[in-house]
Amino acid sequence: MVFLREGLCPGLTGEFIQALRAKDITTVEDLVFADTEELAQKCSVSYKALLAVRRVLLAQHSAFPVSGADLYEELLSSTAILSTGNASLDKLLDSGLYTGELTELVGAPGSGKTQVCCGVSVNIACELKQSVLYVDSTGGLSAEHLLQMVKAKTNNMEEQVEALKRIQVTRVFDIFSLFECLHNLRSTGIAQVVARGSSLKAVIVDSVSAVLALALGGKQTEGMSLMMQIAGELRTIAKDLNVAVLVTNHVTRDSNGMLKAGLGQSWSHVPRTRILLQRVEQSGSTCCNLRTATVIKSSRQPCHLTEEFDMISWAQSGDEVSGSGSQGKRKLPIDSPS
Amino acid sequence: MQRTVSSLPIAPPVKVKLISSGFQYVADLCDLRPLQLSKEAGISQQEAVDVLQEVRGKRDQGVAPGGGLTALELFEKEQGLGSIVTFCSALDSVLGGGLPVGKTSEVCGAPGVGKTQLCIQLAVDVQIPLCFGGLGGHAVYIDTEGSFLVQRVVDMAEAAVKHCSLLAEDTEQREALKGFTLETILSNLFLFRCHDYVELLAEIYLLPDFLAQHPEVRLVVIDSIAFPFRHDFEDLSQRTRLLNGLAQQLIQMATQHNIAVVLTNQMTTKVGNGQSKLVPALGESWGHAATQRLILHWEGQQRLASLYKSPSHPEATVPYQITGEGFRDVITTDCLNVSADSSAIPSGNACKRLRLEGDNSHI
Repeated sequence: MVFLREGLCPGLTGEFIQALRAKDITTVEDLVFADTEELAQKCSVSYKALLAVRRVLLAQHSAFPVSGADLYEELLSSTAILSTGNASLDKLLDSGLYTGELTELVGAPGSGKTQVCCGVSVNIACELKQSVLYVDSTGGLSAEHLLQMVKAKTNNMEEQVEALKRIQVTRVFDIFSLFECLHNLRSTGIAQVVARGSSLKAVIVDSVSAVLALALGGKQTEGMSLMMQIAGELRTIAKDLNVAVLVTNHVTRDSNGMLKAGLGQSWSHVPRTRILLQRVEQSGSTCCNLRTATVIKSSRQPCHLTEEFDMISWAQSGDEVSGSGSQGKRKLPIDSPS
Repeated sequence: MQRTVSSLPIAPPVKVKLISSGFQYVADLCDLRPLQLSKEAGISQQEAVDVLQEVRGKRDQGVAPGGGLTALELFEKEQGLGSIVTFCSALDSVLGGGLPVGKTSEVCGAPGVGKTQLCIQLAVDVQIPLCFGGLGGHAVYIDTEGSFLVQRVVDMAEAAVKHCSLLAEDTEQREALKGFTLETILSNLFLFRCHDYVELLAEIYLLPDFLAQHPEVRLVVIDSIAFPFRHDFEDLSQRTRLLNGLAQQLIQMATQHNIAVVLTNQMTTKVGNGQSKLVPALGESWGHAATQRLILHWEGQQRLASLYKSPSHPEATVPYQITGEGFRDVITTDCLNVSADSSAIPSGNACKRLRLEGDNSHI
């Protein structure tokens, strides 16, 4: 609904609006749906002027068709696939995160969602030398840990500093600050976020459920609307700024005790790709660094594709990973005899 | 594209009125006067003033709210915050030097395993002067179970003071010791006793004011978060919402005031797949609330601490003990004995101890 006001289009003067308003025509919809001839008579305005205004308004508010060929051209020229730095995840995601799309990680507490987010941002900042915006709503991001991961990739001090500079961190703790942050990114954003010589390639929101779950349920009427607005905002950002958006979400259990992603049905349409992270339950150990990732929604890969990977390997350099996964940084003293 | 009015933090009825009178974008509101707005949208003048304040506040504040900063700046900030030692060096090393300041941590465990002891130990340790590598901060202790024992604080404080006096080498440290006595430790520990969840929620709302008045506070303990929320709730979804809200408030507080928030949680038995295991209470979604999760559990006579969830450190399990002086390392020879013991135990048992499955050794 767009309110008629001066300056909306040429010819729409103050007097004109006054005259229309007197006949209960206050919005663009009213004007478009009203019979132009009748309106011109009733409001005693020029039919020609009214028709012109109507045409301009319609043109302003309508969408333009784009041909498939152009779209394909654009896809080839502007879409980037960002590797996550983890071979198993890349395989599930069909070689990485696609710009212009929303990818979601779901998982129980301690399943490694934040870990994957950190890994992705480090890989983009360090290997691809592009910028990342990390929106942290759970306080889970630790720069020290990021540095650890960066150190595993490069030994050069300057490169480490540069990589850290490319990761922009914003902390939001309620839904309205998240709006604020996303809106700022969209309107003024890129120039501000981006460090010299790189462009913003990914926006990570960890976790989107922490701020959204508060607004949902109970007698609150607004929650759904806010959630869908956030979804819209994230999608617009992905498309307009041509960045990959990665969000995390929690899991709940349905009546059969099966895991399902949080935030309900309507949110499940928002992400293009959805990956479920789970711990590998091994009898005999509370501490285990193996995780499985399963595709539960994807437009490219078959669903329920599962890969197993080792959490520890993310913080370490490549050759150590290929050696042995169980060689943790700290050997657990109490575990050794078992 | 412009920011929509519906994404502003204003009351829903006002929002509806604004939108139905045609104010769709924030930009539409910017140049209006309160009187004009109240007339056009049919809202009271006070509401109009509030709305405009919200709109203009946003515009004047400019870009980068919430302190956008690069990871490098964040790293420097984190380095300045430090962490609180637990006096158990094994646990400290697992946590990366102690309990991190500016984050929330959850301590879960069965009754009597030492959750409250750890909390009291932290409340004492946070006050260790800077020159001894401590934080020299104050502590807030919110007690919901009535399990806080001031006598234990006295024991641990005396032990901590003694420990520091043995370490004192130069004049600066001797000078600092004069300000680190039992009396100062006790007077810098603020105890709040909350009897039910309403009191607890109210206290959390008021806490930011208290923290503003006492900027030295570096630690907030809530012992326990589970107790007030485990009964009196018919509507479980309301409980989840309240807890989620609480979690976000605590994280915000931890970040804004640079404090460590420690929550304790009880354990509950979960039955599934024909076996039962102990899991932290308050449900699965609460598991996301705290940044770090530490589970304290028994293995025979040995107390163990497992780091179960942490965004920055690998998971690990370490032994600890609780002595008259507080939360301490297990002496190395003991540790060896224990390891020897546990390998002597039939393999079925070794399986049990780590997964907490069917853990009936302490029941």
